[in-house]
Amino acid sequence: MTTLEWLISGLLCVGALFVLLGSVALLKLPDFYTRLHGPTKATTLGLGSLVLASMVFFNLQLETLSLQQLLIALFLFISAPVTAHMLIKVAMHHKLKHHHTTQGVDKLPAD
Amino acid sequence: MFSLILLAVMAVIILALCLNIWSLLRGPAVADRLLALDTMYINSIALLLVYGVYASSQLYFEAALLIAMLGFVSTVAVCKFLLRGDIIE
Amino acid sequence: MALLLPWILSIPLFSIVILLLFRQLSRNQQTLIALLAPIAGLLLLAPMIPDLLQGAVFQQQWQWLPVLGLQWTFRLDALALLFSFLIFGIGLLVIFYARYYLSASDPMPRFYASLLLFMLAMLGIVLSGNVLQLWMFWELTSISSFLLISYWSHRSDARKGARLALTVTAAGGLALLVGLILLGQVAGSYQLDVILSKGPQIIADAQYPLILVLILLGAFTKSAQFPFHFWLPNAMAAPTPVSAYLHSATMVKAGIFLLIRLYPAIAGTDLWFSLVSLAGLLTLLTGAYFALFQHDIKGLLAYSTISHLGLITLLLGLDTDLATVAAIFHIINHAVFKASLFMAAGIIDHETGSRDMRKINGLWHFMPVTASLAMVAAASMAGVPLLNGFLSKEMFFSQTLHQSVLGALSWLLPLLATLAAVFSVAYSARFIHDVFFNGKPIGLDKIPHEPPRYMRVPMEVLVALCIGVGVFPQWLVGDILLAASTAALQQTPPAYSLALWHGLNLPLLMSVVAFVAGIVLYINRKELFLFQAGFQSTLAIHRFEGQVQRLVQRCRQFSQWAEPGRLQWYIAAMLWATVLLAGYPLLQLNSLQGERGLLPTDWFSAVLVVIMVLAAMATVIWQRQRLLALIMISVVGLMLSLLFIRFSAPDLALTQLAVEVATAVLLMLALYFLPHRSPKQSAHATLLRDLILAGSCAIVVGSLAYLMLTHQADSVSSYFLANAKSGGGGTNVVNVILVDFRGFDTFGEITVLGIAALGIYKLLTGIPRFKPSADADGRSWALDAHPLLLRVVSQGLLPLALLVSVYLFFRGHNLPGGGFVAGLVTAVALIMQYIAHGVDWVKPRLNLQFSALVASGILIAWLTGAFSWLFGKPFLTSWFDYFDIPLLGQIELASAIAFDLGVYLTVVGSTLLILANLGKLTTRHKPEHRGQI
Repeated sequence: MTTLEWLISGLLCVGALFVLLGSVALLKLPDFYTRLHGPTKATTLGLGSLVLASMVFFNLQLETLSLQQLLIALFLFISAPVTAHMLIKVAMHHKLKHHHTTQGVDKLPAD
Repeated sequence: MFSLILLAVMAVIILALCLNIWSLLRGPAVADRLLALDTMYINSIALLLVYGVYASSQLYFEAALLIAMLGFVSTVAVCKFLLRGDIIE
Repeated sequence: MALLLPWILSIPLFSIVILLLFRQLSRNQQTLIALLAPIAGLLLLAPMIPDLLQGAVFQQQWQWLPVLGLQWTFRLDALALLFSFLIFGIGLLVIFYARYYLSASDPMPRFYASLLLFMLAMLGIVLSGNVLQLWMFWELTSISSFLLISYWSHRSDARKGARLALTVTAAGGLALLVGLILLGQVAGSYQLDVILSKGPQIIADAQYPLILVLILLGAFTKSAQFPFHFWLPNAMAAPTPVSAYLHSATMVKAGIFLLIRLYPAIAGTDLWFSLVSLAGLLTLLTGAYFALFQHDIKGLLAYSTISHLGLITLLLGLDTDLATVAAIFHIINHAVFKASLFMAAGIIDHETGSRDMRKINGLWHFMPVTASLAMVAAASMAGVPLLNGFLSKEMFFSQTLHQSVLGALSWLLPLLATLAAVFSVAYSARFIHDVFFNGKPIGLDKIPHEPPRYMRVPMEVLVALCIGVGVFPQWLVGDILLAASTAALQQTPPAYSLALWHGLNLPLLMSVVAFVAGIVLYINRKELFLFQAGFQSTLAIHRFEGQVQRLVQRCRQFSQWAEPGRLQWYIAAMLWATVLLAGYPLLQLNSLQGERGLLPTDWFSAVLVVIMVLAAMATVIWQRQRLLALIMISVVGLMLSLLFIRFSAPDLALTQLAVEVATAVLLMLALYFLPHRSPKQSAHATLLRDLILAGSCAIVVGSLAYLMLTHQADSVSSYFLANAKSGGGGTNVVNVILVDFRGFDTFGEITVLGIAALGIYKLLTGIPRFKPSADADGRSWALDAHPLLLRVVSQGLLPLALLVSVYLFFRGHNLPGGGFVAGLVTAVALIMQYIAHGVDWVKPRLNLQFSALVASGILIAWLTGAFSWLFGKPFLTSWFDYFDIPLLGQIELASAIAFDLGVYLTVVGSTLLILANLGKLTTRHKPEHRGQI
């Protein structure tokens, strides 16, 4: 394995780890408000790492011009916060139960 | 070795997908399920990115791009539906 | 000169277009435009007359559908010339007459347009040189006569009469079509020339009796022959100019024209003589008998017409040399006197407000000129010497004396002919005496007077012809009669003389007997009327209407049975049909396993499949919570697209994803109007039934898929793979198939898509809008309709999304993508703006006419296809080439890109038309704009 491949493998492993972490968080955390953190933060970060790996692979390893991944990352990084925002609005509108250790809805203004 | 790592990474992502479907089926609220669906969209993109590297082909990135775009639209539309009922007002 | 023939047909068309486009013209101008057609037609015919009388035949033809033996062939000979004269001549007079007949409230353009359409159809029949083309015009006369009879569509009798006439003549037309097709097959060609020259071969064929009966059915229904005569009296609900034109001179003669036209090909057998003469004889007698009992003037004339048509048919069925000549002669004479009589009836109706002969009496004192004209014409109908009707009736009598069609009973024919003539004299006498004399008018609304001066002119012309032909027959019609008979028989008829006086002979005696007996019969008519009143008569129209009502009732019952309006029922029927149709062939197979081996298990795909199955099961389990089911089915779609990619079908994956989201949005828009939870299904029997159905479907479809996948089928795909680059100029085979190899299919599909979108739009406009005040759990809606973050970000993402769709569009020919996916992506990107900002924000910023978008898409696709016509290639022949452009290098230009653009526009337009308008249903405070089409 070349250095470049090591680099790519490292990025991939980091990415996969965060993606998995996000999904585990989604499954394990106690209430919706905490669960939301996993996919929107960890998974998005992991995806960034995977995109980086893919760009290194195509542009440096195969030496072909490949920019679609950048577009994917751009799109995802812009849209993920909006998705999270909309989801949290739904959760608050539906007054979902929250774990006693998290902040209550009563401290936030109504939507 | 490299391709083995790639296969292992894909296996991890598919494991993540399996966890997602579990969350999706478990719920309990609609918002939880929607979040799980959205995570599945993102994990699918991740899977396609790694599969593209594995197959040394860029053919799959359009599909990943479309999942990113359309997944966003569909999640937002469902949110809007839950909030307002009428998604196009 | 043959080149002029199509012009003769297109001039009425030209007048129709002008009349319908410029409805604001004055009545006189409209009449002039309508008159243009027959006048120009006669002028165009004029230079051809000398040649035609010498026996020339003009013919002009174009290929139409040569594979089916269908060619545009226009053929003009002396017989066609004679009929063209009748069509144009009587048409000219009728148009002129109608100008004064129709009241100011009747829409003139519609009347003249229908009349000219009929004229065109009639000319088409007589000028056709191809029997299939003839049939087409034949049906056109049925349709245009329907329009004319029902011209006063507010009247129930007009509608019913028109429907009856159309049913009878169109049903006969169908029989005729079959007969003509068989005739063409036997003769080896549908061209009239060929058929006419193959007479002996046709008659000797085993199918000849069938052909003859079918063609006679067509001709007899059209020419109101017994037992199909009943439609004609009911067609008298038409305006009188129509009766004068259609029901005396032209349409009813079409059947007879057909018999004469095909005479050399199908006549001359015993079967012909017995069928045609019998039908003619029965029609002659029934028509003449019933004519006497009609109280309606037009009814009398209608039955008289039936009788005279029977006379002509009888002549065609006689086996004597001159019968056909006599038939053609009587066609001319009947047209002339009957048209003028109908015009007289119209004038009387117009001036007295009634057509009932029991009320109308003694009109001689009020309208002496009209009365004199009508009396001359009626005398001609009765066969009084010095008038044209006398001459042809004499010929008829003399032919009946020389025939032998009835074998040993042939002596009956002259007797029956005389009997019919007796009645003919009697009803003519009734027409003259009852209307113009016989005391005073009874209970009329207005005092009758002479019609406007010019309304009488057409009658005067026709009556002058009656007398002219009656006195100088040879001079006036001798040439054309001889030429037309020659053309009809395809050989010179035996010598005959057209003269007033043939000496004291038997036919003259028959005429005298008929005349005297007719007058005596009329004087003693009271007894006969009493006798006739003893019969219970049910009118044909009532029986027919009863049948129609019953038929409609049956159809309604059937459709209520077959379409109960339950979606479940339809889906079940569809699925059962699939199971049976696909399952039965599976029973015939020995084993599902084909010669292809199984691939090694791919564990990653297997996991994806498991996820998909779990989601599918969850969809079914949560089906009553509709939003949950929607979320679950999205997972199925997502996994399916991943599997498509895994098995190398990126195009399918892209399409699947795009359709998935568009459908999800559509479903959510629809869900808004539905209860959020569907009611629980109670009956266990229903559950079991659905389970069995779903299970059978799964078994059959699954087995089928396994069968397909394990068999090495030699499919067409290898051809597409081999030829995509060389033939279509693209490396993406899927796209090349869509826009090139199967471009015609795609064209049809986008047309259907556009029509469906318009249909949905139209259906949506009628739905009442309401907004539920709370969601399923009784929560009121959130107040923030358009969150700021969503608005800002989605607006920023729009250019990015459009860029992606343009990218997908342009690379589609060579790599995954194409117009369809690009169109869906664009549509979804725009729908996102609707979601984020609402209709009121988008509408002023996106000023698009969605329906225009759909139309332009289909138009572009069509133009791309039609473009290849310019180069003499078939529709949608594709073209591509490579160009060297400075700086950019070599690029490829393909016609498929333009076609794909059409697909793209149609998809964008249709999707937005549906989604945006569905979303707009609930837009509040906006009653003024009903939708953005």
